[in-house]
Amino acid sequence: MARHQFAVIALLGIAVASIFWVLLDVARAYSHSSTSYGVENFENRFADLPKAATPKTVFGYISDNRPEDPSDQAEFYLTQYTLAPAIVVSTINEREVVANMHSANPDMKPLQARGFVPVRNFGNGIFLYRNISVR
Amino acid sequence: MSLLYLVLFCAAGFGLLRFLFPGQLRPSLHSALSLSVGAGIGLGIASCLYFICLALAGPKLWLLAIVEGAFVVAAIALGWRAQAGGTELTWADGPPPARFLTVLFAAAAVLGLALFVIYSATKPHGEWDAWSIWNLHARFLYRGGELWKNAFSSRILWSHPDYPVLLPGLISLSWTLARAESTLAPISIAFLFTFATAGLLIASLGVLRGRVQACIAGTLLLGTVVFVQVGAMQYADVPLSFYILATIVLLCLQDRHPQDLRFTLLAGLSAGFAAWTKNEGLMFLIVVILARAIVVLRFGARPALVRQLGAIAAGLVFPLAVVAFFKLRLSPPNDLASTRPADMLKHATDFGRWMTVLQGFGKEAFLFGQMAVEGEVVRGFLIPISLVLLLYWFLVRFRVHQRDRSSVTTAALAVALMLAGDFAIYVLLPRDVNWQLSTSLDRIFLQLWPAGLFAFFMAANVPQLAAKPAPEKSKPAARRASKPQRKTAEARSARG
Repeated sequence: MARHQFAVIALLGIAVASIFWVLLDVARAYSHSSTSYGVENFENRFADLPKAATPKTVFGYISDNRPEDPSDQAEFYLTQYTLAPAIVVSTINEREVVANMHSANPDMKPLQARGFVPVRNFGNGIFLYRNISVR
Repeated sequence: MSLLYLVLFCAAGFGLLRFLFPGQLRPSLHSALSLSVGAGIGLGIASCLYFICLALAGPKLWLLAIVEGAFVVAAIALGWRAQAGGTELTWADGPPPARFLTVLFAAAAVLGLALFVIYSATKPHGEWDAWSIWNLHARFLYRGGELWKNAFSSRILWSHPDYPVLLPGLISLSWTLARAESTLAPISIAFLFTFATAGLLIASLGVLRGRVQACIAGTLLLGTVVFVQVGAMQYADVPLSFYILATIVLLCLQDRHPQDLRFTLLAGLSAGFAAWTKNEGLMFLIVVILARAIVVLRFGARPALVRQLGAIAAGLVFPLAVVAFFKLRLSPPNDLASTRPADMLKHATDFGRWMTVLQGFGKEAFLFGQMAVEGEVVRGFLIPISLVLLLYWFLVRFRVHQRDRSSVTTAALAVALMLAGDFAIYVLLPRDVNWQLSTSLDRIFLQLWPAGLFAFFMAANVPQLAAKPAPEKSKPAARRASKPQRKTAEARSARG
């Protein structure tokens, strides 16, 4: 009996202690986050652009993230998540291109030199450009 | 409102289960099992009906309301009108759980629930796969109008548009009927599948092995951080684990009630929904039929095999037809499945790949529970659970009753064949095997965790947690008896 009791207590005690431990971590992280988390913040940067996105729209995408930066891929995916049902492709060869910038005053001259006309600045580093070389 | 519709689909599933296995309409083990299985069956049927409506007529709210409404009303009416009788599932014989066991179970349930709620409140859109695959596809389906097929566009191949549609379909269906997009829908679906899986494991072991085994397995599953957390992350792995477990449980119940083929029919339906949840579900479909055929031929008889295969096929028809339509007409090719045969041959003869995959499987089996989410390692068990289970086995040991041999073998063989199939896929298909292992192997193990626990506790001895009551004092004598004598006694009690 004692052997069986020890086995059950060891197995379940470890399981319950493990989830309690992780719960403390998660609760601590939750209580320390004063602003709304990740995805909402990212979506809010786009202001009312998602409302203008129709299922027929295809946006190009450019960012000032370095390609090896892990957040580059995540932000591209989140841009698609935000702008669905429009399709977002990671190229600038589309008529409309979403620029996702992170610096306060991004240098947009290289883009403008390549024939990109600014359509709108949404603030928070999100810009919409028109690529006049694409019909 | 989204929540209300989801509850209605679960109620419809419960109605169907009650129609098939009428029991008293009261809180009971029979009702708990029907509710757990029924929730998944109802959600699966609702998702398939949504996809059929969308594929045949486009996004027509009135059509959807009629079809889903008819399903819900008919299923609930069938369940309501069913007269109690026939197979009533009750607790298996055995001692009641000790007080400390009940306390640990309650603690795990509360902590699991709290973890799910806090995690969902922190990340209402879920984690990476949720917003880059499942919820993204749901947004395409819901927001896309007539262009809903953009969800499967080859221009977003990175979001795996070939993945089946059970989860996105359910989310989009809830939004469509509620006429509002809310994160409450994916959170509720994740909640239903996570806790229905726990309910199913507990209720099924309660029927097959008794209260103590049910309580231990339930505590362990609810105490598995990665299971609750991946559920709250809104990934499809937990719904898939539900359908895998449900299929295996229903086949095991079939063994207890050999004449009642409705269990196998439902197992077929559940296996079909597994294929409608994730591509791994398609492999499970093949694996579970193979496992069942081997077991029936080993322990049963050929006529039983034909009858059971027929019942599985009947259950499979509906979901498999939906999966086939999706795969043949809408889905772009899968990135792994499009590997050229020459590359597969090259991979198969690469000794290094075999070693890499073997090492990955060994490491995951040892460290199961740890998971990397967005670069951060989610802590799992404080001590590797494989070691603790090994210790548990050493102290408690396995003791498979003769009547459970085919059930335990079905469950263990299905899990083992799934792991073998996954192993072969890792060796043969991906270009970058290290990346593939690091991003998916932990979830492959998670998909099989509830079914693995079920197999383990079906086989494990029921631990003796309280002093034996006086009338059973003769048992030590039986234990001292020679092995042939014990076997004879077992066989006699199985027949009895």
